[in-house]
Amino acid sequence: MPTAAAAGLRCYELWDPMPDEVREGARRFATVQALNELVGVLPFAEWLDRAPSYTRRQMLMAKVQDEVGHGHVAARVAEDLGMPRERILLDYLEGRSKVHNIFHYSFASWEEFGPGLLLMNSAAILQFRSLTKGVYLPYARALRKIEREESFHYQHALDLTHEVLTHGDADQRRRVQEGFEMWLPRVLAYLGPPDTETLHANRMYQIGLKPDGNDELRQAWLSKIIPVFRKLGVHVDPAMVRQMPSGEWEFAMPDWAEVKKVVAGGGPASQRRLDWVRGALDRNARYRRALRGVA
Amino acid sequence: MPHVPTDDDVYEVFAQTGTGSALSHVGSLVAPRRDAAWHLAKETYGRRDDLFRLWVVRRGDLIVSSAGDRGLLAAKTRMPHRQPGFPTTRRRDRSAAPDATIAAPAATVATQAAAARERPGGSVSECGDAHGVAGRALDGLWLALADDLFVLGNRLGERIVDYIDLEESLAVGSIGQEALAHAETVLALHGFDGPAADAHFFERPREQWQVSRVIGRLGDWPSTVACGLVIAAAVTVLAEEPAAHEPAIAAVRDEQLVHLDHWRRWARALAAWPETSEEFAQAYAEVTRSAGDLFGAGPRDVPADAPPGPSAAAAELHGRLAALIRDSGGPGSLLPDLPVARAAGNGGSVLADCLAHGRVVREHYAPEVFR
Repeated sequence: MPTAAAAGLRCYELWDPMPDEVREGARRFATVQALNELVGVLPFAEWLDRAPSYTRRQMLMAKVQDEVGHGHVAARVAEDLGMPRERILLDYLEGRSKVHNIFHYSFASWEEFGPGLLLMNSAAILQFRSLTKGVYLPYARALRKIEREESFHYQHALDLTHEVLTHGDADQRRRVQEGFEMWLPRVLAYLGPPDTETLHANRMYQIGLKPDGNDELRQAWLSKIIPVFRKLGVHVDPAMVRQMPSGEWEFAMPDWAEVKKVVAGGGPASQRRLDWVRGALDRNARYRRALRGVA
Repeated sequence: MPHVPTDDDVYEVFAQTGTGSALSHVGSLVAPRRDAAWHLAKETYGRRDDLFRLWVVRRGDLIVSSAGDRGLLAAKTRMPHRQPGFPTTRRRDRSAAPDATIAAPAATVATQAAAARERPGGSVSECGDAHGVAGRALDGLWLALADDLFVLGNRLGERIVDYIDLEESLAVGSIGQEALAHAETVLALHGFDGPAADAHFFERPREQWQVSRVIGRLGDWPSTVACGLVIAAAVTVLAEEPAAHEPAIAAVRDEQLVHLDHWRRWARALAAWPETSEEFAQAYAEVTRSAGDLFGAGPRDVPADAPPGPSAAAAELHGRLAALIRDSGGPGSLLPDLPVARAAGNGGSVLADCLAHGRVVREHYAPEVFR
């Protein structure tokens, strides 16, 4: 996968002169990612105290820490481009920014947790890998660090799902199956609306910050993850997704109106996420001021 | 301990040869004048390659690790559960383990405890003395602190998403994982293997837990800081015991010293800041008042109704704890003068929630699944 420079694109470091739309685009990408990491980790963090063994708890705590770490490196990139970190969460609380559809849900059971995690992680890996080819180099480097940690998360999610499928009873295995079927359309939607026709007119694509189209990533993701679930023993209903003789994947189109409603705050956990972030900022603001020694 | 080098006219040089690579350290030079450093670096280190970036930084502006910090920096060794290969290796090891090692958790605890008593070298405190009364007393103190570390570690894990600051989230995540790792190390040194440690933490009925009363104080951030501080201080003190010269205990001590420093910095900041000083002074007073039982556990494997309270050794350890806490720069400590015995039932809702939540998933599976 060639980097932006190898593809002959002009690349930029922090203090390089660069077109405003590159600077603003990079700031927006990093800001969106920082917010989605910081809010997106909450559904996983909710399960920390229920992780059922010492080792599982250590792995899950490491994962939660990594996700916040990804929020941190993305926030640092955004801050260097003029987006103060405080505003990242404040804009979310005040409705000026939104998190992806998948973070507006909670996991109802430990059995659902594994397949949900696996679907989300594998999609994020593909997306981050694509973005490492972007022309703003500090962000590309941040993503490479993130990508390395995501491979641990992927193995962890796989292991967790495998554990339940191997040792669980029929009911528990059925919940894994249901979890897969519940999360597959959500993650298909997370990868963005179809854009094969419109990609070339997308400015972010043109200036080299969005190296791949949504449809392309969705295909690559399905090629990677569907065989993994089949190998785990999960049934993949051809009405949901199937591979054509050409190798291309066909899938039931997500309900985009529903996705839009969820992203706008109409998901089952939308309010819960907002409440958590607001509560955390409210109860801790003075300690942060004490640490920094500034009012 | 990281240090700041002082050669003021020395500059360290970092260069990058392409856009895909990172800046690398290539060497240093002496520049009598700051404004000459970059140009001298270009002539010294940039004569062959097409450099993409060249950075020069005054050595005195660096904070660099010392040789003694290498243990702390060995993340791969210390925290194997973070490696991508870890789940696969663990799965393979588990499926290779003979079924005979799988037993009902309660039985496992009892069996392991018995094995530890019988096996020479099965306990840290045996390294120095013959395993006698003193050894059992120290074992009791270690196992009690392991319980405290376990609950504290879990609570700190939840703090990762409390966003006091992003860097603090990451620090608290590591301190939490290390606290859990230390709890497990202590158990391993006392003869508990993986399944027995899991059963000890996840299956043991609440009445058998004797956590310190500070655990019940783990609430808002100021009290978390105060609890973190006194627990790190207690573990550090116990890890200095000559009988505990295990390399694993030395590693625990080194990491706990870092935790202690972390909490001390917070204590100073919260105590000095007008908005938080009163609140922190109160939290600190309550926590230190409760901390008298950190060395108040009875000897291992002695029934709880046995007559002797905390031993003479405990009183001496407690004195060192008091000195360490006094040096922490917090507001007034209310640590009692003498150790206070631990009792079942301490820990309040903090312990109750920790144990109850830990069973939510576990109770629906066969005991051996999550070993």
